Amino acid sequence: MVTGVPLTTLADLPDGDSRGFEVEGWRAKVIIVRKGARVFGWRDLCPHYAGGTSMAWRRDAYLNGARTHLACHAHGAWFDIETGVCVQGACLGKRLTRVPLRIDEEGGVHLDRAPREDKA
Amino acid sequence: MQIIGPDLLVFGVDDVPACHDFLTAYGLEPQGYSPEKGGLYLALDGTGLEIRRRDDPSLPPALKTGSMLRLQVLGVVDQAALEAVAAELGRDRLVLHLADGSLRTQDDQGFELAFRVTTRTPLELEAEKINAPYHPGRPVNVVGVTQDMPAKPRTLSHIVLFTPDIDVAVGFYRDRLGFRITDTLTGAGPFLRPQANADHHTHFFIRTPEYMQGIEHLACHMGGPTELMLAGSRMMENGFESFWGPGRHKFGSNWFWYFKSPLGCNVEFDADMDTHDDDWAPREAPMGPEASQAFLMQWRKKWAPGGGPGPKG
Repeated sequence: MVTGVPLTTLADLPDGDSRGFEVEGWRAKVIIVRKGARVFGWRDLCPHYAGGTSMAWRRDAYLNGARTHLACHAHGAWFDIETGVCVQGACLGKRLTRVPLRIDEEGGVHLDRAPREDKA
Repeated sequence: MQIIGPDLLVFGVDDVPACHDFLTAYGLEPQGYSPEKGGLYLALDGTGLEIRRRDDPSLPPALKTGSMLRLQVLGVVDQAALEAVAAELGRDRLVLHLADGSLRTQDDQGFELAFRVTTRTPLELEAEKINAPYHPGRPVNVVGVTQDMPAKPRTLSHIVLFTPDIDVAVGFYRDRLGFRITDTLTGAGPFLRPQANADHHTHFFIRTPEYMQGIEHLACHMGGPTELMLAGSRMMENGFESFWGPGRHKFGSNWFWYFKSPLGCNVEFDADMDTHDDDWAPREAPMGPEASQAFLMQWRKKWAPGGGPGPKG
């Protein structure tokens, strides 16, 4: 993984939408949600079960129906997009793992630091 | 109590078109669908799901937990069976007799229930046949799989509920409705089958905190493991995301493959479930990976070893 290469660009992220990205060496994707000029990064690991499970019902479909929250579509848990805190459902009070992101001058969205290899 | 099992599961959802996409890919037949109002999604025998908007005024009240399941409609064998349910439950709760002939009430944990004389149509379809040494299951010259063979859910199989109190759940379904406990996963809960259905389970309960009360998953029966593998593979090829499987459970012996869904619960394909009668002695095992499956596999894209790389240049 080269941190100089963006995962995506703001131009490729529709406002208010979510996408999942593979990162070499990581067993779970990185979810990126764009809100205006801001982006929020989370590991695609619902904290309901130990070790975490992936959350989309279809490729990139991480938001709930009303598009107000990130959702785990296994059991319907909802997470605050900005804080990652579960506000409803199976993992109430737990939170997603944040992935710090950085936006460069051209709108490229990068991991803020090189990822460490996943053990699992 | 001559109950067969779930005829229809009714959901109030936030994204009707997403549920339509998911359930049609899963293989259910849409009926009367509109993006504004939802529709019915039926298995081959006419059992299935009803999808409505969360704020549809025709729906029973939602659970406070956010679960999208709004109603279970349980089918019974005949009018006498329906009257027996009404008489039993009418002893301690309000049971509404609706104009369409169905009954409406609640279980002891606030799950909305309806009962009706089942509307399912028995199928004239054979089970998947397998050939084994000295015991061929298929006639000669009949092939076992083709890429485009149908793999449609045949009937609604079972529903699994997150319930805060297993004793209350068992007290209602076993002691009031006459369900039999077939097996128990200690630490989670019991598998139950109603008296007019030999399937290992139509209901399974998992003990959870109150804030989780709702549906954990639902499942439809496929015609056999090949149909299950084909149907699941088609979902994967179209970008739907697996939650667990394919594999084969121990209790019930059913093959399984679970997919996450926009219904706020997993939706499972199952096949080749054990059947039981009252001679069966229930088993018990601690809930965990070992008791949950005989084996577990993971889907991958099609691949072939071939003859290796050709000469360079």
